[in-house]
Amino acid sequence: MSLRYMIPASKFKRYLPKDYVELVDYGPFGKKYSEVGVKNMGAYKELVEEHPMCSGCWMAYYIKIIFASLPNPENTVTIGTAGCGRLAISQAAVPFVYGNYGDQNAMASGMTRAFRLRFPDIQKDVITIAGDGGMMDIGFSMTMHAWFRREKFTTIMLDNETYGNTGGQESGMSMEGAVLKMSPKGKNFGKLPAMQLAITAGCVYVVKMSPTNINKASKAIRRAIFAARNLGPTFIHAYTSCNIEYSIPTPDVFADAKEKEKGRFAFEEYMTPEAKELFAQIESKTKREVS
Amino acid sequence: MYYVAKVNSEMCSTYKCNMCTLYCPEPNTLMYDKEQKHGNDHGTSWVDEDRCKGCAICVYVCSDLLNRDCIEMAMVTTED
Repeated sequence: MSLRYMIPASKFKRYLPKDYVELVDYGPFGKKYSEVGVKNMGAYKELVEEHPMCSGCWMAYYIKIIFASLPNPENTVTIGTAGCGRLAISQAAVPFVYGNYGDQNAMASGMTRAFRLRFPDIQKDVITIAGDGGMMDIGFSMTMHAWFRREKFTTIMLDNETYGNTGGQESGMSMEGAVLKMSPKGKNFGKLPAMQLAITAGCVYVVKMSPTNINKASKAIRRAIFAARNLGPTFIHAYTSCNIEYSIPTPDVFADAKEKEKGRFAFEEYMTPEAKELFAQIESKTKREVS
Repeated sequence: MYYVAKVNSEMCSTYKCNMCTLYCPEPNTLMYDKEQKHGNDHGTSWVDEDRCKGCAICVYVCSDLLNRDCIEMAMVTTED
């Protein structure tokens, strides 16, 4: 299906929803990354639409970066699960699949295989975006087994260190001693080592970061998608604070993300030698392709 | 009545800067107009007030990080 299929006849434009027409006229579909990437945000129509996430939510910001960084939005499918993130991910102009709680990586495994059979000539990118609960607590076995099987898709964990959507229960990714509304005694054990688990399970590209530098965040997302196309599973562990459950005043959300970047979310990048070779190839071909 | 960000476009267009648009968590809300404004050399940021949720992260970026003070929070009513 070509992109022309989605362009309405000029006479019908005024009967169509305004958002759809804006996407056709000013959206990023079919354009070069240098024209519409994260650096140009605010100058074109973004893929994400209005969503019901809280004011000043850093998770909403990171989701906005994910969609602005997609190398090929017209051939991308996102998969999510219950949690705050799906409220915004489902509002984007990219097909979104919503499963039972925690089965996003199992569904993605099936979908990547089906896409390879159904569209052998088109590269379809599958990205699972879920919170720390969906990825590391309830969906833990499915996440790990997708990595063990070396399924070729990207996994992005939006780590807000709590179950923000249901009132603030402790999650496996909360810090030791974290006192939350629904865990008043404080957590008894520490944070799961998600990055080490991903490396051990066989991910070819793993990043832990706090999204404060937009170019760095975008570069990590694009590298993860490029590596997942041919090499194997990739994983991004991003800090996306919950300003409601951790009582961060909204103007200080960005300052909090910078503070966490100096501490436990310091930028860490792991890649296999094959992935390194691939990035060197892509980045030498077109300088702006990945950055 | 809403609490939204307001950009002082006369001051904003004197700087070559669109940092606030890069750090707004809401999509299609804090936009950047590349055309030169108010006889200055650069374009200006502008806010789609219907979409702004009033988190003031843009104020932090503009005032605390860059010391430019081009954005302030303001109450708007539906009559405005």
